[in-house]
Amino acid sequence: MISVEALRNEPLPGNYFAPDVYLQGDYELGLLENRSGDRLIAVPEILLEAIREGLEEEVGPSSGLVMFQCGRWWAKNFYRRFGEDVSNYYGKPLADMAMVELIQCIKHCWKTHGWGVIDLDMSYNQQGFLVVTIRNSPFSATEVQDNLSMNFTEAGILSAFFSQLTGRDLHCAQTSCESMGAEVNHFVLGIAERLQSTEALVKGGLDHDTIMERLCIADQ
Amino acid sequence: MMHSDFRTLLYRAEIAYFDSSDLDQFRAVVDSARLRVQTYKHLRDHEVEIFQPIADQLVTAFPTEDSELLESALKHWLSVLRYCAMAMLINDPDFLKYRLLEWLVDVVQAYDLEAIETHLSENLYSSLQQQLTESQWELLCPFLQQAEATLIHQTQTANVTR
Repeated sequence: MISVEALRNEPLPGNYFAPDVYLQGDYELGLLENRSGDRLIAVPEILLEAIREGLEEEVGPSSGLVMFQCGRWWAKNFYRRFGEDVSNYYGKPLADMAMVELIQCIKHCWKTHGWGVIDLDMSYNQQGFLVVTIRNSPFSATEVQDNLSMNFTEAGILSAFFSQLTGRDLHCAQTSCESMGAEVNHFVLGIAERLQSTEALVKGGLDHDTIMERLCIADQ
Repeated sequence: MMHSDFRTLLYRAEIAYFDSSDLDQFRAVVDSARLRVQTYKHLRDHEVEIFQPIADQLVTAFPTEDSELLESALKHWLSVLRYCAMAMLINDPDFLKYRLLEWLVDVVQAYDLEAIETHLSENLYSSLQQQLTESQWELLCPFLQQAEATLIHQTQTANVTR
């Protein structure tokens, strides 16, 4: 016997990140906020581009590392706020949420913030890799050299976010890039030593699936 | 709170005063509010009466199924009806889509309870059709159909693709 009276008193939440309720603010004060009261601002794409180019001009080849670290620092803080907000709304700690619900939160968080459409590919989990795809990424890629186009900021963000989420120190490398004509940006997350060959594989013109095959074989 | 009918009219009001047909449309929107509130109240006040027989039928139809799974399916559709009621109240299918369905569809697919969810939604459909007056049902039905199309039919297509 199932008691509907008991069930209906449990929280039955929907999409915390639904755009019409997540994005709020006080127009009179020029403030854009999320539903938790954290400030948001709309950043034009061209400003992000200008920051990237300015950084490249000032620090040259180190710009990638700088942007990666910026992404990591920001995402560590963002993850903490994400965790608090989601836990409060869904009435349980992140660790107690069903995986599918947590992934939905991440996907809709990304969408509502205008960071593109993110998806997780778990098919390499057994080999110790998590693959993330992002379509319509707002961060512009740095044209490094020789076929290599990397979105360092985004890689840093994903590295910190998923390290916090999984409790492991995960590095992140990009294996395909929208700006190079790929359908989506592919990022692979794993332990740093196992991702060392990724850059060379990308420079070699290999596609994402082939790179994943090589990364998985390398460990055997 | 703004629903799509008002939104469309208000965009037109930026250019000029409402003409007669716009005013008639506005009046029709306002007039339907009374019936919407009535329907919403019925759904709110009879939530247990609507769902308890459905829960009992579910236990009978799936006697060997884990009761936690049956409860998950029931909770999904308790949510669906609540959000359908709200969407019906403000006449905004986008409310239902963005606040619930887009988020819930992957959850429903992941739990893989197609047979249970289908059985449940069919029973809910026929139960509400009997309980509501014809005009109340006409208001609610499009939103229930929207939910079914997303959660049941889209799930079926996804499973076939797999």
